[in-house]
Amino acid sequence: MLSFKLALRNLLGAGLRTWLNVVVLSFSFIIIIWTKGILEGWDRQAKADMIKWEIGGGQFWHVNYDPYDPLTLDESHDRIPAGLISSVQPPVPVLITQGTIYPGGRMLSVLVKGIPPEQKILALPTAKMVSADGEIAAIIGKAMAENAKLDTGDYVTLRWRDRNGTFDARELKITGIFDTNVPTVDVGQIWIPLAELQDMMLLPDEATLIVTPENAGPGEATEEWVFRDHEFLLADIESIIRAKGSVGIIVWLILLMMAMLAVFDTQVLSIFRRQKEIGTCVALGMTRGQVVKLFTMEGALHSVLAAIVGAIYGIPLLFLQSVRGIKIPLESSDFGLAMAEKLYPVYSAALVAGTILIVMIVTTIVSYWPSRKIAKLNPTEALRGRIQ
Amino acid sequence: MIKFLFSGLIRDKHRSLIPFLVTATGVMLTVVFHAWMTGVLGNSIEFNARFSTGHVKIMTRAYAENMSQTPNDLAILGTDTLMNVLPQLFPEMLFAERIYFGGIVDIPDKNGETRAQGPAMGIGIDLLSENSPEIERLNLASSLKNGQLPVNKNEVLLSNKFAEKLELSPGDTLTLVSTTMYGEFTLHNFTLAGTVEFGNTALDRGTVIADLRDLREALNMDAAAGEILGFLKTGTYDVVQTTAVTNRFNARFLVEEDEFSLVMKNLPELNNMGFLVEYSDKIKGILVAVFIFAMSLILWNAGLLGGLRRYGEFGMRLAIGEEKSHVYLTMIIESSIIGFFGSLAGTATGLAIALYLQNQGLDLGFMMKNASIMMPSVFRAQITPATWYIGFIPGVISAQIGTMLAGMGIYKRQTSQLFKELEA
Amino acid sequence: MKKLLLVFIITGFTPLLFGQYPDGKDILRKIDDNMISENRYYESSMIIHGRRTSLTFKLKTWTAGDTKSFTEYLFPVREKGTKMLKLDDQLWIYSPSADRIIQIAGHMLRQSVMGSDLSYEDLMEDSKLSEQYNAKVSGEEVVDGRKCWIVDLTAFVPEIAYHRKKLWVDQERNIPLQEELFAKSGTLLKRTRLSEIRRINERWYPGKILFKDMLKDGQGTELVIDEIRFNIEVPDHIFSKASLKK
Repeated sequence: MLSFKLALRNLLGAGLRTWLNVVVLSFSFIIIIWTKGILEGWDRQAKADMIKWEIGGGQFWHVNYDPYDPLTLDESHDRIPAGLISSVQPPVPVLITQGTIYPGGRMLSVLVKGIPPEQKILALPTAKMVSADGEIAAIIGKAMAENAKLDTGDYVTLRWRDRNGTFDARELKITGIFDTNVPTVDVGQIWIPLAELQDMMLLPDEATLIVTPENAGPGEATEEWVFRDHEFLLADIESIIRAKGSVGIIVWLILLMMAMLAVFDTQVLSIFRRQKEIGTCVALGMTRGQVVKLFTMEGALHSVLAAIVGAIYGIPLLFLQSVRGIKIPLESSDFGLAMAEKLYPVYSAALVAGTILIVMIVTTIVSYWPSRKIAKLNPTEALRGRIQ
Repeated sequence: MIKFLFSGLIRDKHRSLIPFLVTATGVMLTVVFHAWMTGVLGNSIEFNARFSTGHVKIMTRAYAENMSQTPNDLAILGTDTLMNVLPQLFPEMLFAERIYFGGIVDIPDKNGETRAQGPAMGIGIDLLSENSPEIERLNLASSLKNGQLPVNKNEVLLSNKFAEKLELSPGDTLTLVSTTMYGEFTLHNFTLAGTVEFGNTALDRGTVIADLRDLREALNMDAAAGEILGFLKTGTYDVVQTTAVTNRFNARFLVEEDEFSLVMKNLPELNNMGFLVEYSDKIKGILVAVFIFAMSLILWNAGLLGGLRRYGEFGMRLAIGEEKSHVYLTMIIESSIIGFFGSLAGTATGLAIALYLQNQGLDLGFMMKNASIMMPSVFRAQITPATWYIGFIPGVISAQIGTMLAGMGIYKRQTSQLFKELEA
Repeated sequence: MKKLLLVFIITGFTPLLFGQYPDGKDILRKIDDNMISENRYYESSMIIHGRRTSLTFKLKTWTAGDTKSFTEYLFPVREKGTKMLKLDDQLWIYSPSADRIIQIAGHMLRQSVMGSDLSYEDLMEDSKLSEQYNAKVSGEEVVDGRKCWIVDLTAFVPEIAYHRKKLWVDQERNIPLQEELFAKSGTLLKRTRLSEIRRINERWYPGKILFKDMLKDGQGTELVIDEIRFNIEVPDHIFSKASLKK
């Protein structure tokens, strides 16, 4: 206890030097947490994007629906049931069928997806699906637009087969192109108003899947409709994130070494500078072990102070960033769509607590290491301030 | 004078060794951080590259236009000669022929009639050559779930879930139903050698991996391949190098009027990867900038403390008649020498570590046991031109600023006061 | 191959009444009456024009009624011995190189046959025109130098690939020289041209048929009838899975 008090007094007594070290060390804390938060936030972003663009709060799938086998689409649709979920925001039904488009004499197989233009759950700009002259308004993603060489205002012929297998074809007008990171709403697909597609397919009031709003809670499955929750729909992304986690650990280690460096430097300097003091302590009857303990304690206390200081400015700073996001400036943006890409760092309690704990342990070890030298000092020489 | 200061530094180890070591370590960490971040943030890009885009991809122009449908009727012909020429033209690259195809996998009953079938996506790679780099590239050995890797003609791998759905075990026969590159209907029998798990639903649902030679027979694609992927020998994507390669290739092979002339596409032009490439790059930039800032602060602090602790000495020097400006100047030259050599040493060690991490990589497979994903478990750093100089920013500049700041005290304080600090 | 026959086999056409268009439905009935022979055998060549190369297949085909057909590939060498058996709406394919009989599932039948402008379903469509379409003669036109009736067909059954068809029927020889297939919306999807009309027994036959998908670029798919015989002895065992492997 004595050594603790002594260590604290020594630290605070050193004034500017201590506070410089503490501030620098607190920076290391914040940067370790921040860097991990960015990486974590980036991983989460893929999930967030999928929720925003495609899956909402989960989807009801028609029992026969299989997104990986478009040949089954013919048998996977039914009347949209009422009361699947209880939420203020109405769920969004989507009808899916296969079709062929002929851009510039080429032939491209596509998935045609019907969605209500007035929907608000997904980020798809469905409100742009308005046409003036009777043609069907369609929106497509950037990747699809590039692949099919289509631009806003272009017309393209769509051929499909209705529920009876009868061929039909209509002109589509591209009324909007959207930029998304979610290829599963973009590549190889065309979005048109649900009512049009139901009409075209002779499938009034039918859908293939139903997107529920976020926070609507889990849906009740029925015989015809199976509820697919986030765990199911985001499984692929989750496994990638798990695999990437190990990479973050290496980054974290490098950052930890940076913090170590900060402590080590100060500690070595202070032992060198304070040889006289060490000599005095030993002369006054402290055992060498006690002196080592005192110096180790001083070093470790640095990290405690750093944690406190870091918390004072770090918590508001990190919190603000996690809420406001960090703007990632991107130069290339095609189709005149400015991408305001924001990354939201994610800090878990485990990350913060773990980092503080490990930095403290590491600081203590790093403080102890140069302090061992003390044990080798000859007290009389030390007292004279002789460099050894 | 510099010589004088030099000997001073070398003789007084406490004045030189510790600051030198601290600077060198800081710079080393910066260099390693930069190389590791560059390499690892590109990991998703790398995963895509290995599976589908390559770092660059060669196709016919007509194929490139319809790439999403993998139209093998528009495949590259005469790949045998091309594969001999390419390594000579682009010694910095490794090339791999690939055939991507679609079809149906049909399982016979005991009478040879259909018992089960399912839609399949296929990748034709060099499976059977000894030491084929493709096996490592697709991480096949560690993704193997059942059975073994193909060693004989007409042996294939299937995704595990697909094999389960078709009730197939290693050793069983399966028939690929597809169309040849001329559009003919084709049936080809294969033997299941083993099953693999990708950790990606789309791939796990119905993937066949077959050897190029077998597929050429099955799909009537003699000396043809849909695509030739190019990989930088360094193992990680680098936009500067691939752009140069792409420009050189297209200047030589691309003919605007001929739809079957060869075209090379750079990774950002493929599969919408441009966004990911730029985004990763920007995030790396931000993380590295902040890291350098923090490291600068640490080294600045070290320089500042180093300067502060020598106030006594300065007092003494001033007392015996040295000019303030001269003391200040020597101090700065000293720290420049330390900063420069520290940065040099730090960059050298950092580069050595980064080079090891780039060439050998770090197998983090042991940390990914629960992640059943075909992502390569070996992660690599990547050295770019920036890696060479980035360490000097915190190493030379910030330590310098620290010293300069500490030195300001020489001007502010009285000689007597500085002298007193000698006693402190 | 059935559909081809359905399209062009027309015999015993009703004598025309001058100044008045004949009854369309009547024309269809007669087409149907005449297309259904007990059985037939023919040898044909199919030429598929790809973007890079053209590919020729030679086939021989036996059919019986409108539900059974059996086809064997004679050329190219790679395909030689490949056989296809169709019974009602089921299709089996046998490949000698793999020694396998594969059943082609229902939804696969909509895929295009060997990169051609025809789907398996197109090839297998064999119901009688008069049982699916109402017809009206809407005018006259000269096609390939021959006077033709223009017959508009509109489906009255729902389960049908093409809701509307338009036939140009040779007034003298009673055979369509051109056929257009429309989407329900009225968009022209496919056009078929029949040429090199020859007389075989009591029937008029085209020697060459060109199919063209009108929405996409390309030269289409050609079918050349090298030889055709009607009402010959076709042993029933030909239309069995056992014959696929022979």
